[in-house]
Amino acid sequence: MSREKLDQMADRERERQEKFDRRVFCCISTACLSAGAGRTMQALKDGLEASQSGDKVEVVQTGCMGLCSRGPLVRVRENTGEETYYADVTTELAEELIAKYVPLSEPKAGDEALAPEIIETRSRLEAARRKRTLKKHILSQNLPFFTKQVKVVLRDVGYVDPEKLEDYLAHGGYQALYKAITEMTPEEVCDEMSRSGLRGRGGAGFPTGTKWTFVRKAESDIKYVVVNGDEGDPGAYMDRTMMEDNPHQVLEGMMIAAYAVGAYHGFFYIRGEYPIAIDRIRRAIRAARRAGILGDSILGSDFNFNADVRIGAGAFVCGEETALIHSIEGKRGMPRMRPPYPATSGLWGKPTVINNVETMASVPAILLNGADWYAKIGTDQSKGTKVFALAGQLTNTGLIEVPMGISLREIVYEMGDNVPGDAEFKAAQTGGPSGGCIPMSHVDTPVDYERLKELGSIMGSGGLVIIDSTTSMPQFARFFMDFCVDESCGKCVPCRVGTVQIRALLDKLLEGRGQVGDLERLEEVCEIVKSTSLCGLGQSAPNPVLSTLQFFREEYEILLPS
Amino acid sequence: MITLTIDGKKIQIEEGTNVLEAALRNGIDIPHLCYHSDLSVSGGCRLCQVEVEGYDQPVTSCGMACAEGLVIQTQSERLTAIRRNLIDIFLADHPLDCVTCDKAGSCLLQKYAYEYGVKETSYIPIYSKTLYQDDNPFFIRDHQYCILCGRCVRVCDEIVGVHAIDFANRGFESHIATPYDGPMIDSSCVFCGNCVEVCPTAALLPVSRLKRGREWDLERVDSICGYCGVGCKIEYAVKDNEIIYAQASVQESVNGSFLCTKGRYGWDFAVNPERLTQPMVRRDLAYSLGISTENWRLPKVSPLDIDKPDVDDYFIPVDWETAYEIVSSKLVDIVKESGPDAIVGLASARCTNEENYLFQKLMRAVIGTNNVDHCARL
Ligand SMILES: Cc1cc2nc3c(=O)[nH]c(=O)nc-3n(C[C@H](O)[C@H](O)[C@H](O)COP(=O)(O)O)c2cc1C
Ligand code: SF4
Ligand code: SF4
Ligand code: SF4
Ligand code: FES
Repeated sequence: MSREKLDQMADRERERQEKFDRRVFCCISTACLSAGAGRTMQALKDGLEASQSGDKVEVVQTGCMGLCSRGPLVRVRENTGEETYYADVTTELAEELIAKYVPLSEPKAGDEALAPEIIETRSRLEAARRKRTLKKHILSQNLPFFTKQVKVVLRDVGYVDPEKLEDYLAHGGYQALYKAITEMTPEEVCDEMSRSGLRGRGGAGFPTGTKWTFVRKAESDIKYVVVNGDEGDPGAYMDRTMMEDNPHQVLEGMMIAAYAVGAYHGFFYIRGEYPIAIDRIRRAIRAARRAGILGDSILGSDFNFNADVRIGAGAFVCGEETALIHSIEGKRGMPRMRPPYPATSGLWGKPTVINNVETMASVPAILLNGADWYAKIGTDQSKGTKVFALAGQLTNTGLIEVPMGISLREIVYEMGDNVPGDAEFKAAQTGGPSGGCIPMSHVDTPVDYERLKELGSIMGSGGLVIIDSTTSMPQFARFFMDFCVDESCGKCVPCRVGTVQIRALLDKLLEGRGQVGDLERLEEVCEIVKSTSLCGLGQSAPNPVLSTLQFFREEYEILLPS
Repeated sequence: MITLTIDGKKIQIEEGTNVLEAALRNGIDIPHLCYHSDLSVSGGCRLCQVEVEGYDQPVTSCGMACAEGLVIQTQSERLTAIRRNLIDIFLADHPLDCVTCDKAGSCLLQKYAYEYGVKETSYIPIYSKTLYQDDNPFFIRDHQYCILCGRCVRVCDEIVGVHAIDFANRGFESHIATPYDGPMIDSSCVFCGNCVEVCPTAALLPVSRLKRGREWDLERVDSICGYCGVGCKIEYAVKDNEIIYAQASVQESVNGSFLCTKGRYGWDFAVNPERLTQPMVRRDLAYSLGISTENWRLPKVSPLDIDKPDVDDYFIPVDWETAYEIVSSKLVDIVKESGPDAIVGLASARCTNEENYLFQKLMRAVIGTNNVDHCARL
């Protein structure tokens, strides 16, 4: 497809959208779906149909709007740009919403011609017009939860229909890819990424531009690009949201990576527990292929690229890049020693770029707005924004995108609106089972790669669990240890046996069998597992224990005989 | 060639060799359980860590490629502590049954526990596996002793090409399994026993050696396998003049550390009373040649129709000289009487290439016929 055709498609879609007086967006991402968004969406559609005003208002299914704890969420956007958010939208509320925003047009053929259920819906809508409950469900846009966010990655999520390529195009989709392949050399793309300061969002924070440059320089006819969508941290769902809610953005990032390093084939590796993400990515690939965005001679250039989906079987360790490679190759998902790194010897021994979903999703915006624009966001060494899945004991939980360097205080007390009830904020856990806890005393810490590391935690992929004063930290640490015991691949002995021993020591303490010296022993075993394990899983498995021992030692000490 | 220094010793080695292999080839033993020179690298045992100049942290030597100028130390206080810790962790999931274990004396875990002075585990012993499988006549699988080094899995996949076994389950529940933990016979296993050979512990043992004595009770006899022309070197472990088990003899052999099922398990003929150990001549021929004074003629009933014919009823033993004498004079007679083409020679695949070459030479040049063929072509 040529640039002109691409623009035409985008323009046509934009014009179509502008014809409506207003558009009603209903989130159908997993969190809202499980709160009943499927029924809400149906009620909105039925209501619109019964109103016979489909030419004035459009109901759009979109992705996550952020405040998942208040789902199903619906947003009404006027043609003027004015927006109103509604929380906890049940089917009754959906009808009230339609009654308020959609004029009940006179049916052209007269009431008799209408199906009985439509007549029934119309009378319900009439009745709903008199209700006044809707107002109570309005979510103020001035909440810090919204105002503190800076949206780069999630910019279009919640606005764009994830199953509609045209909608993505209307939002400027694939312009970055077009720019890369027509105006930039692969080297320039890599340099741009380096200058932007983007670091891998999968956990380790490796500079993306450097990684791409390695692969670009590797000599090989065949190279691969892999998007790591295995997201295994308990409570984390940033990557799932991205894949479900704006799959084309991830695909576009992947294609730019492919162009930059000289790859002709790519794989999305998505965990099997994400059926919707798998479906949406597959649809996106098919749609892009039909439109000539994916395949041979992309957008009229001599760049060829194809992508496929591979489904993981639910092993946390398969998110580790070498285990992931084995899994795609059809082998048992076990990590191997590095070097060689995937950049020199990856999939089937070929140079391979592996990037996290969020990393890939950051790419189009960086190319379009420029590295300097991106590098202005964030801190010295941690540039840009980070998406967090805010979970745990907090009033507002959900998905947030914040600039690097924001303080934990702002996230917990302002965006999260504090811990509910009488309890108090105690600690924030980042990095999931590989991370650590940041206590109240460090609540003013700016959240970036370096500071979190200094505190014995890691940025991780974006899980942010808030713990209140009612939680026992040894119990909490045990939860993560149990997770690591289950998820260890079993290849190396410190992780396979050592994690079981750490768990046994925690159990001993928690069951009141603790002895003097047990805490020192616990630390010793943690250090051994950390320093001798083969891969990141074992090397970081003791972190939750070590970090709670560091900051909440008194909670362990009371478990010892006095 | 690359030059590096290990423990102060300058070592030259081909590029691409890993540091552990370079050390082993030069007589420097770095403790290792999962590494095997003929198999791909795993990295699971973590024991082979060494100090590398310029690196803060110890490096896993089996996973590090030799590079020009590397300076390696294989012994240090820190390394000893790490290795002790690791052996300690291994023993937390390995019953300390050394006093009754058949593998005592050749078990690598025992060896390193001895070398590093780890008498028992400092951990709470928690055993992950209890399965005991004796589902075939060749070897047993006693999972409680398995340290999951994965050597058996790799040998079966990479050398034998069968991939009958692999890791099943995850983490502490991992164990080596046939598909669905079924009996060995239902898997694709060809019972070559190479997994048994590379297993460092008592998790895989030949049935024939169970309770038949330990390493120091056994004598070693080097031999060449007689089953085929490859001529694998074989080492028999012998006690009281009986073979206890066979294994590949590693040094300078055509077969490296591996054998096939026949060589490894098919040696019971060695002490079978029915085994022919010297040449025999049929009794009537022996009489006509004057070797025997006893007149004899073939009985009415063919020996093929007798259930267990006694060889002594039909043949008498002679020495090799006599046997050769008879064969050669008979061949000369036939050639004289009927010409060389009255003779056909059929060679055997159990002979070596050289032997087969000589045989066709004998037929063509000495006898004078092209009537020579080989069982492998039939
Ligand atoms: C145990 C373990 C699990 C991991 N899981 C994930 C994951 O679910 N998603 C991910 O993107 N990276 C994960 N990683 C990190 C990857 O190995 C790899 O570093 C990352 O995908 C690289 O992409 P990035 O540079 O964009 O961060 C995991 C690492 C380890 C050690
Ligand atoms: S550290 Fe754990 S997950 Fe990683 S290779 Fe070792 S056993 Fe497997
Ligand atoms: S006996 Fe041979 S074929 Fe069978 S499992 Fe062992 S190595 Fe594989
Ligand atoms: S059976 Fe033996 S060779 Fe196989 S993994 Fe266990 S200890 Fe290693
Ligand atoms: S021999 Fe190197 S890790 Fe086992």
